[in-house]
Amino acid sequence: MVQLRGQNRVITTCTVKNGVVEDFSSISLSGIGVRTFIDGKSWGFSSTNKLDFKSTEQALDNSFKLAKASSQLKKQRIVLEQVKGKTIDLFSPVKKPPHSFCTEDIVNIPLEAYKGAKEAGSRVADIKATYVSIEDKKHFLDTEGARIHQTTTRVLLFINIIAKSNGLLCPISENVGHTGGLELFDKVSPYSLGKKAAENASRLLNAKAPPSGRFNVVIHPTLCATLLHEAIGHPLEADLAMAGGGFGDHIDELVSSKLVTIYDDGTTPYGLGYFPYDDEGVECNRTILIENGLLRSFMHDKTSAALSNVSPTGNAHAWDYSVEPLIRQTNIGLQAGDYSMEELVEDVKEGLFLEGTFGGQANINADFTFGFQRSKWIRRGSLAEEMRGANVAGNAIKVFKTIDAVGKMSVLRPGACGKYQSAIQGRIVPAVRCKILVGGTGD
Amino acid sequence: MISNTDRFFLTDAVHKSVKALEKKGISQVEAFYTNSHATEVSIRNSEILTQNQVYDAGVGFRVVVTGGKVGFASTNVLNEKAILEAGEKAFAIAKVSSEVPNFALPKGGQPPEIRGLFDSRVAEITAEEAIDVAERAMKAAEGFDKRVIAKDGLILFQSGWRGVVNTLGVDFEEPETRAVIYLSASGKQNGEVTGSCSDFLFSREADVKPEIVGESVGKKVVELFKPQPIKSFQGTVVFSPQAVSYQLAHVLIDALKGDTVISGRSAWTGKLGEMVASEKLTVTDNALLEKGFASRGFDDEGCSSQKTILIKKGILESNLHNATSAKALATKNTGNASRSSGGFNIVRMIIGNGYRAKPDIYPSNLVIQSGNNTKEDLISKISKGVLVESMAGFPQAGSGIISAQLSRAFYIKNEEIQFPIKGGMVSGVAFAWFKRISGVGSDAKQFQNAIVPSVMIEELKIVGP
Repeated sequence: MVQLRGQNRVITTCTVKNGVVEDFSSISLSGIGVRTFIDGKSWGFSSTNKLDFKSTEQALDNSFKLAKASSQLKKQRIVLEQVKGKTIDLFSPVKKPPHSFCTEDIVNIPLEAYKGAKEAGSRVADIKATYVSIEDKKHFLDTEGARIHQTTTRVLLFINIIAKSNGLLCPISENVGHTGGLELFDKVSPYSLGKKAAENASRLLNAKAPPSGRFNVVIHPTLCATLLHEAIGHPLEADLAMAGGGFGDHIDELVSSKLVTIYDDGTTPYGLGYFPYDDEGVECNRTILIENGLLRSFMHDKTSAALSNVSPTGNAHAWDYSVEPLIRQTNIGLQAGDYSMEELVEDVKEGLFLEGTFGGQANINADFTFGFQRSKWIRRGSLAEEMRGANVAGNAIKVFKTIDAVGKMSVLRPGACGKYQSAIQGRIVPAVRCKILVGGTGD
Repeated sequence: MISNTDRFFLTDAVHKSVKALEKKGISQVEAFYTNSHATEVSIRNSEILTQNQVYDAGVGFRVVVTGGKVGFASTNVLNEKAILEAGEKAFAIAKVSSEVPNFALPKGGQPPEIRGLFDSRVAEITAEEAIDVAERAMKAAEGFDKRVIAKDGLILFQSGWRGVVNTLGVDFEEPETRAVIYLSASGKQNGEVTGSCSDFLFSREADVKPEIVGESVGKKVVELFKPQPIKSFQGTVVFSPQAVSYQLAHVLIDALKGDTVISGRSAWTGKLGEMVASEKLTVTDNALLEKGFASRGFDDEGCSSQKTILIKKGILESNLHNATSAKALATKNTGNASRSSGGFNIVRMIIGNGYRAKPDIYPSNLVIQSGNNTKEDLISKISKGVLVESMAGFPQAGSGIISAQLSRAFYIKNEEIQFPIKGGMVSGVAFAWFKRISGVGSDAKQFQNAIVPSVMIEELKIVGP
């Protein structure tokens, strides 16, 4: 079996820092990656950005030799599921393609975010806004006859603010992103986003640091996105699960609160993880991972699916042509529940409301940690004084068993992940209430 | 291995493009180009998962037009036309950009020759040899104790060339090789699964010793069985090199960068000459170290490398600079332009490193000067505290807040290690921690961009689960 992936990618970035267009870049990348599977057990992979026929042949030859080199050492036989080869030409919906806009129009996007942030007052010390677009043309073909072409456009905006007063620094970041074009900014105004981030940063200068210890917490969707991805998303990736961590072989067992239903869906419109087909040519539809607390499935590529005797779920994704696909989340979702935000807070006698993400990490044994940007005390069912950010930590299986309420409003959030290689993904999340360890620096 | 044809083609095409752009009356042009070949073997669950070979080459242009307006464009399409087009695109972008205050490129110089950056045996390594290294690392870990399972690992042998040319007289090339072993394992006994323990080796040479990495990981795993929770307390913490190289170094680096100082993003803005840390702390940036993993003759915009004292006995002596930040602060360029900076930057993650990116400011080898104490000596001074071998969680650059999960940590009482800690976090502001450093170990270890020993810090807050 041979899989060949070719790709053309154009990345455009524009950074406005404190009003100055500090960077405008255009990055054009092309290349091919060849993957060969031999002897029913061994993969080899080789990639190159030399695009002549001879180099492609060389890459194919390399990938075969590499597969051969470790074949004898492989213990497990892998019977890959045959996927009927299809010829498909897919274009992700784009109303305003970035390449049809002039430089000034692009510059205006982060510039507007800067102007909004500037409105928040003199304590805003540093404002950085970065626009990124990624325009991809991907071609997949294999020896089973698949010929899949996918053209995808993604647009993102990152805003990083530092507010400063009396030597105290307070960082806040906001970001938006979707699969689609510049119509993103018809829905979300860069100006308002910048303004909101800067106002938060300035206000937090007066706030105290959060406490430390185990708390009842209400987690806002902006942070729940990270909780979902890091804490429970990673342990549901078959390669990590097979490494013996977390959910191991607990299929059809209760692994979480009954209020929890989690899925992964490569077809969610606008989701940054919009991939109708993965990088092994497998369709990437909705996969139910946890249903009312019961573990139903892991996210699989062809190899892990073969080893688990199930069908692949379309979760084999490579960051670009130069690297091999591995098991990744696409758009991971937590099904919404019945609670309004007020109701989530109302039942908490004493606890914390956590909001905004600073990113996190997960360990093979389902331990996780991630940061929140700001918080509030909850006292007697009401939101009280605001505090700054810190990190939380825990074990996914234990924490997800403590979820006793799920919010009714889901939002689609952008996300990124650095598992072995880069990835950008979507998260569809409501707010949740649970118990978690908070590592605040306050009293 | 990279053929001479490929190498000379790129060098030649880049130089031709720079000349062609110069003829258009552009004030300054810079091209940064690399050519690399890597053989990688990855390990998952006691098996070789896969092996890869990646060839990559490309060029990134920075074009400056009158008034300091800058454009950047890069390509990996390897023909003369595409390379020139990338340069022209950078020019087109520069014309519509706004002025970058104090923008500067380095002038030509005479970069020092650093020994031990290239080992031809790395360039010639075969897939079989790389697989053998992976097998030996796994066997050493699992052979150490039957409860140890190799979970995850990566063996990398990379060789290549890096070149910079600009219209101010910079025109340098440097070959380099890299060998990396990363192995992570966890342990299993009676249903108990430990968190993963890892070790690294960063070398310029082919004759790496995978057994050392494997055994070290095996030993780490066995030490982690039967962890116990602890109650929150304040005590002395010894951070091992691995913990220092990650969260602590990240906060330190961010505060030392010239660009964060200029924008006021650094907590050490305006503090040159002041005491910012305990007198036990001396930090240098040293790109000149023989065989150093991040050593280089010139930085990623062509400034000659040097050794820079950043913090001397707790006093802030210098920041890390590239040509632009040095010009803005009217100080000497320290040669810290880097196109493969570490840290946690999503935009960088999307763009990639090397020719794909404009340079940032980042250390070469950030060296924390070692002390005379072994880690055991440091522990023997602690009545109640924690040894943190590794921790998880991003530190908050700027504010310096670290609130990290203890992924491999041990409780210390009465001058001795008692047991591994289950759950728990350590939290505080790293800038305050630096002032309370009470000891530095003699056990410095090389990481990707740092050479750091154990560091002992007083009065730290440990949070129990």
